[in-house]
Amino acid sequence: MYFGKITCKCHLWLFILLLSFNSTACIKSTDKTEAKDYSLKYPTADGGTMISSMSAEPSSLIYMVAGESASAAIASNLFNSLLKYNQNLDLEGELVDHWDISADQKTITFTLKPGLKWADDKPLTSADVLYTWEAVTNPKTASPYASDYALVKKAEAPDPLTFRVTYDQAYAPALDSWAGLQILPKHLLDGQDLHTTAFARKPVGSNYYQLIDWKHGENITLSRNPKSVLGQANIEKLVTRIIPDNSAQFLELMADNIDSMGLDPIKYSRIIPARPGLQKKLNLYKELGNSYTYLGFNLKHKPFDDVRVRKAINYAIDKQEIIDGVYLGLGINIASPFKPGTRWSHPTLKPYPYDPVKAKELLKEAGFADSDGDGTLDKDGKPFRFEIITNNGNKEREKAAIFIQRRLKSVGIDVSIRSIEWASFISRFIKTGDFDVVILGWGLGLDPDQFNIWHSSQQAPGQFNFIGYNNPAVDKLLEQGRTELNPEKRMRIYHEFAEVLLEDSPVVYLSAGYGLTAMHKRIQGIIDPIPPAGVGYDSHKWYIPAPLRRNEISTN
Amino acid sequence: MLIGISLISFFIMHLAPGDITSNEAAFNPKASEESRQKLREMYNLDKPVIVQYALWLKRMAALDFGNSFASHQKPVFWGKIDNDGNLTKGMIQEALPITLLINVLGLLITLSLAIPLGIIAARKHTEWQDTSITLFNFIGFSIPGFWLSLILMYWLGVVNNWLPISGIHSLDYESLSTFGKVKDTLSHLIMPVIIPSVTGLAGITLFIKNGMLDVLQQDYITTARAKGLNESRVVYTHALRNALLPLITIVGLSIPGLIGGSVIAETIFAIPGMGKLFYDAVLMRDFPVVMGVLTIGAALTLIGNLIADIAYAWADPRVRRGVARS
Repeated sequence: MYFGKITCKCHLWLFILLLSFNSTACIKSTDKTEAKDYSLKYPTADGGTMISSMSAEPSSLIYMVAGESASAAIASNLFNSLLKYNQNLDLEGELVDHWDISADQKTITFTLKPGLKWADDKPLTSADVLYTWEAVTNPKTASPYASDYALVKKAEAPDPLTFRVTYDQAYAPALDSWAGLQILPKHLLDGQDLHTTAFARKPVGSNYYQLIDWKHGENITLSRNPKSVLGQANIEKLVTRIIPDNSAQFLELMADNIDSMGLDPIKYSRIIPARPGLQKKLNLYKELGNSYTYLGFNLKHKPFDDVRVRKAINYAIDKQEIIDGVYLGLGINIASPFKPGTRWSHPTLKPYPYDPVKAKELLKEAGFADSDGDGTLDKDGKPFRFEIITNNGNKEREKAAIFIQRRLKSVGIDVSIRSIEWASFISRFIKTGDFDVVILGWGLGLDPDQFNIWHSSQQAPGQFNFIGYNNPAVDKLLEQGRTELNPEKRMRIYHEFAEVLLEDSPVVYLSAGYGLTAMHKRIQGIIDPIPPAGVGYDSHKWYIPAPLRRNEISTN
Repeated sequence: MLIGISLISFFIMHLAPGDITSNEAAFNPKASEESRQKLREMYNLDKPVIVQYALWLKRMAALDFGNSFASHQKPVFWGKIDNDGNLTKGMIQEALPITLLINVLGLLITLSLAIPLGIIAARKHTEWQDTSITLFNFIGFSIPGFWLSLILMYWLGVVNNWLPISGIHSLDYESLSTFGKVKDTLSHLIMPVIIPSVTGLAGITLFIKNGMLDVLQQDYITTARAKGLNESRVVYTHALRNALLPLITIVGLSIPGLIGGSVIAETIFAIPGMGKLFYDAVLMRDFPVVMGVLTIGAALTLIGNLIADIAYAWADPRVRRGVARS
């Protein structure tokens, strides 16, 4: 009987093996990659194909309408904006040669570089810029990001090289918004509906690359745009494969079928270092992430309206433990809601340390005591008990919640955790304000304006101050910060804002995680050390030396 | 029937909290509530559900499945040509053939393994062959498909470079000869087809085995044996035909599965099929796609059941006579 089981299993394996041998005979075998020495440095070379992967397919390549990160990732290779951030995260011209701000700070005049062309050889002029602004602010276009551009009172294009916008009042995030608006060709889009146009699937742009093939659900291929307004990139083709599952992506990376992917902490600090074969092929990059995770209180619910309770919870949570345990050390503690290392981030502000004794004192001050001796604090006969909610599918947040649950238990607070599917989470709990405490994340934009998150006027259902934060001092600072265009003065405003915010503790900053990237060593020319703008900065200067290219693709 | 199905699925979908504007991309402080409201108006999501259902029914009367909310208004079902002559393929039109191909191949493999295994198990009932087949099936049934997939992807794709890991075509697919294209697609399909068939083997093998056991104990088999027929004729000519009859029902019942596809397998193997399409649409609250997939799935299932019934009548004279009498 035992013997029978074995043979039976063997038959199946044989069957699978046979099938695989049959087919391998005709798959073009990849060259034996082990033979190549990827540690050699080569001079800049022209050509080659870089293959990357993404987990979701863009819905449209007009980012202003699509709004999702997959769309931005592809579209940023195709289109240009008026301005861009340089490697130190200062603004400089991309399509524009220079820009002037009027004395009253309400009018910005952009002067375009001369001789710009679209990939189809038609001239790119200020009329295209004006068209893009009109299209985005058109009431028929439901662009998620229209609000910044709707503040423009008057936009005009007096001559082909000049584009001028006038605001009702000085608007500091304006320049940032013009760095985010990808300019679209008027001659191909005029009169069309941006929500349905076929252009979104076969766009014509002006940047380094142009779309040559999009196989739905499989891959998107870009090749160099010979008319590129910024000159020529080194790498000939960019292929993005759509692989939804992260593990499958990683297997493709291991098998040398893709050149880059974003990593999670376990892959970065455990799996890859344990495999010398992978270390030989891959470069790993770590950069400060563009988002942070926080624990937010519903300030309209008792007892979170009491600042002592919020501070107590802040003291009771060991953030370093969360960074070490959840992010495997690949995150940092923050004390202000700005990207660390940028000018907006307060240089001396310190996060709340882990101090359970102080937490207990503060809770006692706020009237909480364990009067019935059950281990849980209570006040007015009601135990201190609440629920942390977060969205499921984000393992880091769920794990952080468990750490927090344990730490709060030790100061006598009974916490339960619930994770909920995203759409239900947003519409049923966040929008309605029907929650006590939430774990979520905010992105860290390059512009410091956070009016929509913290201003007391932004509390209506669907707006982003859903924790109900209301502090007149902060409101005033946020309003000032929006209208101050001088970077030095503006910086001081946001430093003060961060101080007040930390003191008020409406949220507990848990961690700003690092962005982790693996890049195959065949991709050379990546700026080292990584500039503040990130590992992807200046990717048009990357190159793939001919001896390190894949054989199968280069014939294409 | 179809209207009932559409009614139920429409209301269940709309009862779920959230709509197209509550996806993760929209949860961005730069995205204003006004623009989300505009989007809701554009898709009539601000109207009462009953009005939305009426609008949907009105379109359905003209067999118009509408356009997706989440995928740049791609047609849900079949391709449409716009005024400039650009053809946009329908989402179901693209996804359904892939899923059907994988699942039909899978079903064929399952059947071609399950029938012999079931016969052997029945003939050697309680002997070691039977026990080992049961054990094997049990193991196959218990192994989580996604785990087996990842292990095999690692072993066949990374360690040995025998099979492609994910996707359904190689990147140089276009430049291959016709024969090369077929080989390329088949090599991509091996893992996604075989793994679910192995894990799905258990049920059908048991079904065949039990059917066979039942039939082998019937009087006419004893008669056949008594008149001196050899054992293989008894089993394969007389018993097997009757034992296979219930299989028609099983295949008929598996039709929704053939169309639906599997979310997990399609996600792991990066196959743009129906399972993934439907799953993503539910998460995005992309109502037209959800409704399109459900309605077409329901319609095809009804057709499948009809075909199964007809096939039954064709295969089994008793059923035919029953129909004639009534």
